[in-house]
Amino acid sequence: MLRFGPDNGPIVAIALPLFEEANRLRAFAVAICRALAARGLAAMLPDLPGQGESLLPLERCSILDIADGFDCAIKDAWNADRRCYGVALRSGALLDKLALLDGRWHFAPQNGPSLMRDLKRIKQASQPHIKLAETDWYFDPKAPDDQPAPPVEIAGNLISTALLTDLSRSTPWTSEDGGIVRTVRLDTDPAAADRHVPGTPLWRRAEPGNDLPLAQLLADDIADWIAACER
Amino acid sequence: MPLDSRHRRAVKRLAAGHTWHLAPQSLSQRTITHKLGRAVISEDYDRIDATLRATLRDVLGLSEARTATLNADTPLFGAMPELDSMAVAGLLTEIEERLGILIEDDEVDGEMLESFGALVRFVAAKIRR
Repeated sequence: MLRFGPDNGPIVAIALPLFEEANRLRAFAVAICRALAARGLAAMLPDLPGQGESLLPLERCSILDIADGFDCAIKDAWNADRRCYGVALRSGALLDKLALLDGRWHFAPQNGPSLMRDLKRIKQASQPHIKLAETDWYFDPKAPDDQPAPPVEIAGNLISTALLTDLSRSTPWTSEDGGIVRTVRLDTDPAAADRHVPGTPLWRRAEPGNDLPLAQLLADDIADWIAACER
Repeated sequence: MPLDSRHRRAVKRLAAGHTWHLAPQSLSQRTITHKLGRAVISEDYDRIDATLRATLRDVLGLSEARTATLNADTPLFGAMPELDSMAVAGLLTEIEERLGILIEDDEVDGEMLESFGALVRFVAAKIRR
């Protein structure tokens, strides 16, 4: 886990997206954390189950495991009576639903079905001569029925079928679910949001990258939002 | 109907003695106007063209200069090293999100990604439906 900023006051916990997008956005997330620290706000970037230095391999994780990991990451701060705000990038918005947060801030949130479409396209691209089934494409038809379904390899990640099934019906937390939720998207994304900002969709790039002006802009938005929540 | 066929019909009209003003643009909006001033064919490719250029720029990390050189004949998949099969997946999803269309799996083939012009025509046809 990476920590930034002061040891007191409200703290921001960042949820990176699932799978390869986490690698592409990690440096960007660190830039946001540093910018928040410069604004006097504490921030943390936890490694979730199945990510980074986690001892639990991804192929043994369900959405529940990963979301529980995010909740555990903020437990110490919560027990110390610090107000905790979740900042989720992309499908990270699917991982903050178990955490006891004083507010949720989502950047370009991606729902589970959309992520599944991405994963299916990537899987299909890796095996162009084998057409994937319309539904349940991630189950191996040759696997014996009396054994647990084997994990699926997608772009170098081994992913459990349980996690993929979870994703097929998972959506981000919204204000209708309760609490404070703010959504920010890029101005190239026509989906509804509280604010649209200019910037690069780093998660689409083949290699990890950064967008420091965007990181600063988002950190300012987060800081202003937290200040409003704290009043 | 592909734009190229319409352009050929317009050339035949010229040979037959009609006159018109052809807006000198690459793949963006073309208006072929009969000498009476009425638009015979008007296709608004501006938004689609600009959106697809921006999407390719953002997904593949192209420079502004290189993005500006994209024209109807610029080859894409197989000719652009940045556009491998993994990048295609991300590109298609980004196009869907920006233009509000759905690209079915069985619509994805080499033809639609053969050139920038082919991609524009494919997306324009999807939007018209």
